[in-house]
Amino acid sequence: MKWLEFLTKIDRRIIYLVLALVVLMPLLFPSAQSVIPKKPVEKLFNAVDTIPEEKVLMMDCDYDPQTQPELEPMAIAILRHAFKRRIKVAVLSLYIQPLGLAKKALDDVTAEFNARAETYADSIIYGRDYVFLGWQPPPIIPILGMGLNIANVYKTDYYGNNTDTLPMMKHVRNYDDVGILVSVSSGNPPLWWIAYAQTRFGLHVSAGITAVSASDFYPYYQSGQFTGLMVGMKGAAEYEELVDTKLEIDGRRKASEAMGSLTAAHITIILFIIIGNVGYFLRRRK
Amino acid sequence: MNISGDIWTWVAGLLTICIFSFLYKDNPMYKFAEHLFVGVANGYFLTFTIHRVLIPILFVPLFSAGRYWLIFALIVGLLYLTRFIPKVSWLVRIPIAVTIGYYTGAVIPATIQSDIIRQVQGTILTPDNFQAWGAGSWGTVWSILLFIGVVCTLSYFYFSREHKGVLGVSSRIGIIFIMIGFGAAFGYTVMARISLLIGRFQFVFGEWLGIIQ
Repeated sequence: MKWLEFLTKIDRRIIYLVLALVVLMPLLFPSAQSVIPKKPVEKLFNAVDTIPEEKVLMMDCDYDPQTQPELEPMAIAILRHAFKRRIKVAVLSLYIQPLGLAKKALDDVTAEFNARAETYADSIIYGRDYVFLGWQPPPIIPILGMGLNIANVYKTDYYGNNTDTLPMMKHVRNYDDVGILVSVSSGNPPLWWIAYAQTRFGLHVSAGITAVSASDFYPYYQSGQFTGLMVGMKGAAEYEELVDTKLEIDGRRKASEAMGSLTAAHITIILFIIIGNVGYFLRRRK
Repeated sequence: MNISGDIWTWVAGLLTICIFSFLYKDNPMYKFAEHLFVGVANGYFLTFTIHRVLIPILFVPLFSAGRYWLIFALIVGLLYLTRFIPKVSWLVRIPIAVTIGYYTGAVIPATIQSDIIRQVQGTILTPDNFQAWGAGSWGTVWSILLFIGVVCTLSYFYFSREHKGVLGVSSRIGIIFIMIGFGAAFGYTVMARISLLIGRFQFVFGEWLGIIQ
């Protein structure tokens, strides 16, 4: 049967083309997609929301261009949340490559807030409201060292300022002054924060991770080692939804905008899998 | 339509097209973009390491601030390079021993605590674990399911006895859990890869070509 041959030998380039069109159409003609935040994301949102005034949010931005579409919306949503609540933020990276992207996220969100600010007090000021600690190698050393003294590990920040001269850092000595650490990462760093900072110093840890690593990380959420968890672009969209509805911040929601394409692509792939299997079984029966 | 006037956005856009061209077939444009990426990434890493690590952490404290004990760190580090000199290549064992010794000491206790003890605690059937699911009375069901899944999966990897009788049944149940795990991992992988494609399309048709507003 010709059609049976066709089903089992569809050229991969046809599949790529169909998939590209299916992903592109919802981006060109967006439709309303409701995103319902799930428990792990809600728990992360609540943990950030309830950070005491005297403590800071520490964010480990460890994503590079390969995983930027999934993880950058998470970092931006968390920064919006923290700045809206006037929670002080310390950002760092455990690898070199993410530094530029972490800086971009910080610059974009501070510019967004400062464009709306009417007074100096309303503005988001470097050193007062947030610091960018930068990078110190190798990863385990700064994680362990910051449990004793952050300024000893990051003597200078990303811009070369002495860390202990920054107003915000005068009140932030070690993990005792950190409300929660959120590791937005495409690799193993969230597990390192658990192993070295949580186990030894009792730091509360949450994570924003790529969908690929979800099945590796869920056991740590189930066991309570992660306070909350965001998984992939869907997790980012859920956090964006919470930030939008609970804090009424209107900024671009890149992850939410992508939900239509994601849904359409998933349906298409499921159809291709069914077609492939039907073709395979029919041919075997022949 | 509002095409970008930024030259770097154009460079990024054209390189994206070069990489995507591989989907049709391998070609010189793809190879150019691939080699460029590897070269730039290595150059970035090397430059950053020299300016942000070697100079401020080693050279300045050692040669300008008089912290002479750092000479030992420099010597141990340089011993890595003896690998290129066959007669003294055995000296490379020293920095390797130092690195392995440090990491073994730091990693093993922490990993046992976080990856084994806490994970086992999370699997034990206790009222706290039932509640941790946040699913009311269903929490008990999920916890029991998790417990059965862990025990059966572990039994599948017990190879010292033939998988017959009770061990045979539990290992077969274990395979079902493993397959469900693989299925979930594959589903998440699809989601991740599509997300990356969406991200690139948002850049190409949004920031670069200005078609998506």
